Amino acid sequence: MGVLLQVSGLVKAYGGVRAINDLSFDVKKGKVFSVIGPNGAGKTTLFNLLTGVDTPDTGSVNLDGYELVGRPPHRVAACGVSRTFQNLQIFHNMTVIENVMVGCHLRGCSGLWSAALRLPSLLAEERRIRTWADEALAFCGMEDLAQARSSELSYGVLKKLEIARALAAKPRMLLLDEPAAGLNDTETLEMCELIKKISETGVTVLLVEHNMGLVMDVSSWVFVLNYGSCLAQGTPREIQRNPQVIAAYLGGETGIE
Amino acid sequence: MRLAGFYLFAALVALLPVVFPDNYYVTVVGVTAFFNIMLAVGLNLLMGYAGQISLGHAAFFGIGAYVSAVTTVRYGWNPWVAMAAGLVLVWLIANLIARPILRLKGHYLAMATLGFGIIIHIVLVQADAFTGGPDGLSGIPGLVLFGWHVDSDLRWYVVAGAVMLLYVWLSLNIIDSREGRALRAVHGSEVAASTLGIDISGTKVRVFVLSALMASLTGSLFAHQQAFVSPDSFSFFFSIELVTMVVLGGLASTFGAVFGAVILTFLPEFLVVFEDFQMLIYGAILMLIMIFLPRGLFVTMADRIGPMFAGYFRQGIRET
Repeated sequence: MGVLLQVSGLVKAYGGVRAINDLSFDVKKGKVFSVIGPNGAGKTTLFNLLTGVDTPDTGSVNLDGYELVGRPPHRVAACGVSRTFQNLQIFHNMTVIENVMVGCHLRGCSGLWSAALRLPSLLAEERRIRTWADEALAFCGMEDLAQARSSELSYGVLKKLEIARALAAKPRMLLLDEPAAGLNDTETLEMCELIKKISETGVTVLLVEHNMGLVMDVSSWVFVLNYGSCLAQGTPREIQRNPQVIAAYLGGETGIE
Repeated sequence: MRLAGFYLFAALVALLPVVFPDNYYVTVVGVTAFFNIMLAVGLNLLMGYAGQISLGHAAFFGIGAYVSAVTTVRYGWNPWVAMAAGLVLVWLIANLIARPILRLKGHYLAMATLGFGIIIHIVLVQADAFTGGPDGLSGIPGLVLFGWHVDSDLRWYVVAGAVMLLYVWLSLNIIDSREGRALRAVHGSEVAASTLGIDISGTKVRVFVLSALMASLTGSLFAHQQAFVSPDSFSFFFSIELVTMVVLGGLASTFGAVFGAVILTFLPEFLVVFEDFQMLIYGAILMLIMIFLPRGLFVTMADRIGPMFAGYFRQGIRET
């Protein structure tokens, strides 16, 4: 199993605060790589740097030979990186299926003029996009909701919708930012199964999550972030036994944040 | 059926002059309504769907109209060549200003487009060697379509109606496509759209240019139909009127824009008092709609009257 993503010397400072401080790690192809750490550890910042939403001060992010740093988000996406958001970013002005069809954007190529004139090439592409979107929805178990308006759905379903939309892009790497936050136990269990299922299809998953049960269950590698630096990394078992991690993160009275 | 609403509307447009021939409200005010619909439908693509406000849309309408007027009256150009020249000029200007302007958001974007609209208006007034200044320019020739002179009210109804229906059709097509979804995605969440591979600024620029071109062509037709242009028709107030049309009908609904344009065309015809208080009433309409019917009159009505009706007319909810 080769390395898909190689991060080295990543630094991002906001004013005097180094949110990400000289971070280097490798993500193996086809695995679930989890990033954990207390609130404010820099997890979401890291995701923003990896997806081009934010630009690092120095460092490099290499995806299978493609340097991602310096590319705008839509070019990073074109390299095969897809993501979800901690605060949902659903297109509430669209139906569920249309949300997922936007996810297929990179797999189509029709422009404004062929759309305006509704050329046959466009119609063929529309049918393909619709099929792909249906597949992505079905993969996430939401095929019944295709025509629902996204503004009418519950939080848990919207979380899955974001994943379906991200998967519709057929990414090589999927970044999930707290997919289980705000979900109840049943939904968390479903999410756990969904993440495993995604990983089985060969998509590399980068996961940020606070729910330790889920993280330890699905991950093959866990990376602990603390004040923007690496505190420890290893298999879930190693991390659970690491005294530094326990002290810094798991050792509080509530055990898990 | 995707275009059921469109066919119904087209049939209505075709039948009106047959049922009411020589009716002032059909063949005269109707043509004005068609021009307004064309402008509102174009603006709605930018404002309603892509979520980018423009308070200077009348400027592109004005540039199209004035290029047609000046080149045909002063230089004797063929109207069709003049029309094409207007499109080329608007394409250039729109491309030039789109990128810097569309980097702005919210109030700033509103201010920048407003400034652009005012600049163009000032140019139309001041460059009187070409434009005739505040008095305007008269004697614009009519259109000749393959030897067919567009010289009566009814003929203009046919020509403007056909182009208007073309605009509505184009708008419906665009919205229901990859590019149209990208537009709406940009409106819904820019960060999500960009991480799905949508080039935000490219998408905004394309729709801005398209709506500007639509306004320019409308302007050219308007100039030939009126045979006279003056800067008053392209002032800041008309830009506001266009925004009111789009908001009144309902943002992000092509037929909402059609509806808003029709209402605001006919309202002044029936309310004489409207003349003096026009801007006041438009302002009040905008405020009331934003407060009580933020989704617009047409979209709200369509939803109330029944899912079947709404299903035909509202965009983006039917089976593809």
